[in-house]
Amino acid sequence: MPGFVYESLLWWGLPLVALPVLIHLINLMRHRRVHWAAMEFLLASQKRHQKSILFKQWLLLLLRMLAIAAVVLMVAQPVVRNRWGAMFGSSTTHHVLLLDDSFSMSDRWADTSAFNEAKRVAARLGASAERQDSPQFFTLLRFSRAAQLARGGRPDMLAESVDAGFAARLEKALGGLNISETAAGPDDALAAFDHLPAKGPDENRIVYLLSDFRTSQWQDPAALLKAMSRIDQAGAQIHLVDCAEGIHQNLAVVALKPASGTHAAGVPLTMEVTVRNFGPGAKERVSVVVEDDGHPRPAVVIEELPPGKSATRRFPVLFTSAGQHEVTARLESDAVDVDNRRSAVVDIPLAADVLIIDGDAKARDAYFLSTALAPGGKITSGIKPLIETPSYLRNHALDGFETIYLANVPRLEDAEIDALEAFVKAGGGLGIFLGELARAPFYNDKLYRNGEGLFPLPLAGPTELPVDRLDKSPDIEAGDHPIFSVFAGERNSFLNLVVVNRYFAAERNWAPDPESSVKVIARLRNKAPLAIEQQFGHGRVVAILTKAAPVETELGSWNNWARDNPSFVVAMLEMQSYLAAPRHPDAAKLVGMALALDLDTSKFLPQVRFVPPGDDAGGSVTVDATADGSAHKAVLADTLTSGIYQAQLTRIDGSPSVERFAYNVSADEGDLRKIEPTQMAGRLSGLRYEFHRSGDITYNPQQLAGFNLSESLLYALLGVLLVESGLAYAASYHPRPLRGTK
Amino acid sequence: MPASKRFLRPEAIARIARLDLRARLVVEGFLSGIHRSPRFGQSVEFLQHRQYAPGDDLRHVDWKVWAKQDRYYVKQFEEDTNLRATLLVDVSGSMRYGSGEMDKYEYGATLAACLAYLLLRQQDAVGLVSFDESIRVKVPQRTKRGHLEAIVQGLAAGEPREKTDLFGILRGAAEAYPRRGLMVLISDLLVNRDGLFKGLKLLRQQGHDVVVFHVLDDEELEFSFSGPTRFEGLELDERLSCNPRALRDGYLDALGQYLDEVRIGCSRDSIDYVLFRTSQPLEAPLSAFLSYRQAARRS
Repeated sequence: MPGFVYESLLWWGLPLVALPVLIHLINLMRHRRVHWAAMEFLLASQKRHQKSILFKQWLLLLLRMLAIAAVVLMVAQPVVRNRWGAMFGSSTTHHVLLLDDSFSMSDRWADTSAFNEAKRVAARLGASAERQDSPQFFTLLRFSRAAQLARGGRPDMLAESVDAGFAARLEKALGGLNISETAAGPDDALAAFDHLPAKGPDENRIVYLLSDFRTSQWQDPAALLKAMSRIDQAGAQIHLVDCAEGIHQNLAVVALKPASGTHAAGVPLTMEVTVRNFGPGAKERVSVVVEDDGHPRPAVVIEELPPGKSATRRFPVLFTSAGQHEVTARLESDAVDVDNRRSAVVDIPLAADVLIIDGDAKARDAYFLSTALAPGGKITSGIKPLIETPSYLRNHALDGFETIYLANVPRLEDAEIDALEAFVKAGGGLGIFLGELARAPFYNDKLYRNGEGLFPLPLAGPTELPVDRLDKSPDIEAGDHPIFSVFAGERNSFLNLVVVNRYFAAERNWAPDPESSVKVIARLRNKAPLAIEQQFGHGRVVAILTKAAPVETELGSWNNWARDNPSFVVAMLEMQSYLAAPRHPDAAKLVGMALALDLDTSKFLPQVRFVPPGDDAGGSVTVDATADGSAHKAVLADTLTSGIYQAQLTRIDGSPSVERFAYNVSADEGDLRKIEPTQMAGRLSGLRYEFHRSGDITYNPQQLAGFNLSESLLYALLGVLLVESGLAYAASYHPRPLRGTK
Repeated sequence: MPASKRFLRPEAIARIARLDLRARLVVEGFLSGIHRSPRFGQSVEFLQHRQYAPGDDLRHVDWKVWAKQDRYYVKQFEEDTNLRATLLVDVSGSMRYGSGEMDKYEYGATLAACLAYLLLRQQDAVGLVSFDESIRVKVPQRTKRGHLEAIVQGLAAGEPREKTDLFGILRGAAEAYPRRGLMVLISDLLVNRDGLFKGLKLLRQQGHDVVVFHVLDDEELEFSFSGPTRFEGLELDERLSCNPRALRDGYLDALGQYLDEVRIGCSRDSIDYVLFRTSQPLEAPLSAFLSYRQAARRS
């Protein structure tokens, strides 16, 4: 007894077989009456042809009924599973279910979610497989586990034999599965197919991809197409099962990080939170609940958030003690909850150490700089300046400094330059002020080095900026740059009151290379560059081509910026923030990424205890650090939930130490836009697959356990139609020359 | 509708009038020549002049007119004949069938009326026998012009009825008109063939010249029905539900055999046979037949 893929269609379609009989009966009822004279000939004809006509008509009726039955059967897809069927097809079936458990599958609507739908489909497939007579095998693999397969991990079920009670076991196993917080896409899951046991010669393998088919995961289908083509070529069938429904309202916190500013205990730090609206409609008065170290802060409110747009808001936090601090931002519940929360760990030192190298023994420039950065008294900037001579650079480690300033430095030794370059390359900030002691040849030859050195431009020499009584424009024209953005829009900025008398001119015809990172961020009244920045390694360099101190020199006064003008203090603090920013990278880690901790074994024992979020000690894992070259590394491979992970270390002296890491979900995974089946067909053109909605899977997968007769039925149908056409032609009226009528 | 208008419709009269002009010579020639009249050429009444056309007999040229007008005219004469024609018209139930404008009965009756009109115009004696399974109306042979009305009335009186028994009719006609004459049978001949041929043979044996005008409908000849149809016999009490297309070939074969049989039977007894389709204009087959008769006479 064959099974059917679409058995319900069979019950709908089979009554259609009676259609020709029905049409015949209707025609009989509709016959017309003719009073006929020449009955004699008609009766003679009827007597002569009655048998052949009846035979042809019965045969025709039968063929037409057969044709309809063939169409119905073909659509219902009968499958023979007996030994005859096995001669044509496979006798065992291996169902491979790739279950999407990325957090977009938590999309909720009505009383269900995409993940629940996927689990229901899996349960139905398992129950159907259990009912089959032929051997059935079942493999279940979650997307989030797929990547681990390559590292020797195991699927949730691997080629498990389907026997009596399997459906119950499967249901229980599915009940224990929860949505992960990863953004695992179908790539890894499809690639994992290669790690499954090879398909046997008489095995029928079917791969079901139970997913939500979000646009973000199918933007670039090249890799997917490649993986699916491999599956196809391996002789397995591919069924894509869409378990999600429509687009629902979803907001997500897509970023939470410190904005510019000094990281120091007791100094207010500005944080930035970005919320994105992935839903189809605008949202008003979006409230972001903020906490620092578990203490609630005033909520950040976004008045309106149009669909598809992001909004960034800043809020201050104040940490009075040094160390790692946690900041979290949270939104109200919506279709996808996982992306409504985001955490950040902020490293707050006691103070930000800054080194000021002054070339003048009087250190007048350093004085003004250090005063601007650390005014003293009741005001704390969190910056701790250290004024030294150039030799400090080669004699001391510079790692502890966030920023180094060179003020009026005439020249540096090569070792000092090397130390300085290494410092900046590693992410340190370098601010350079010139002055009467600075020598252009040294800067050009040693620091600029044709664009390869620290200094961003070649210098010509000290130049006077003539006073123009007629020109009322300010001496400094600041560009659109974070250092000067605080002055933007101020009509009577103190910056406008700065008078610059003298500066170092750039070499004639010098202009920044558009391809390089060199940018002029402020110019003088005569359009000569005054402040120039460049990226050097991971760090930043800003050069101010005038003197920091507003004092008289042998060349005369250079400027009056630092004298009684508050804009100097503001600009220097902003410059310090800007230069120090690379020292505080946004260490955002995504769920699913391994947590690798570099361990200094001279200070710590080589064991690390990783505690996952939720302070559930039961979930903690102790990992032995492994040697990786000269360093030691402790790795936590599985980070499946978002939040703050703790790495608990033990110092050599036995005292504990904790490092915290914030793990957040992928910002894009909350984008619930779906790829349409037609788009999918376009992107997967040339690939054989079937696309289903989760609710549409009413078919019984038993059909795939045997030989599907659809194709044979198609040929049979063609044969029946051919014979029917021939017979219909033979039995129908065709004009022929008339005899005896003239 | 009066019977005279029914069977001598204006359009039919117009057609016949044209037919008259065109076939006059032929009709008069063949009808007058059918019988060896002992008064042939003796009783001639001048009718009209006609312009000479090549082929006209020079004996008929009016030389007086030529002398006066220098034009050739031939004199035409109205000739008395002694032809006695009997129109045997089938009015049985089978003649009621018709798929076109006229059924077979109407067509046959019109044909009979036209013939009577033509014969009476040349002062031949025309009689009528309308019949089904028995003789319904018998109109004696007369030569008077007013006799046409009686013929037409006779045609009208014979409403189609019942079954045809042709042998009895023809035998009755042979007995009723023992003098030799022209017997014109107008029927669909859907009868027993033995009776038909026996009857016709009887007429021939009595010295009658017999002409059979076989009237059939287009559908009877072509049988182009389609779709489920229930045929109910007009004379036979038979019913048949069928797909006509399936039976068409057999039907046409049987019909062809029947027509062949009739043609052969007629020619065997030297009976002129003409098949009329009810869709054909009357004059076309009539003039074809008249031409044929003329040619036969010449030979």
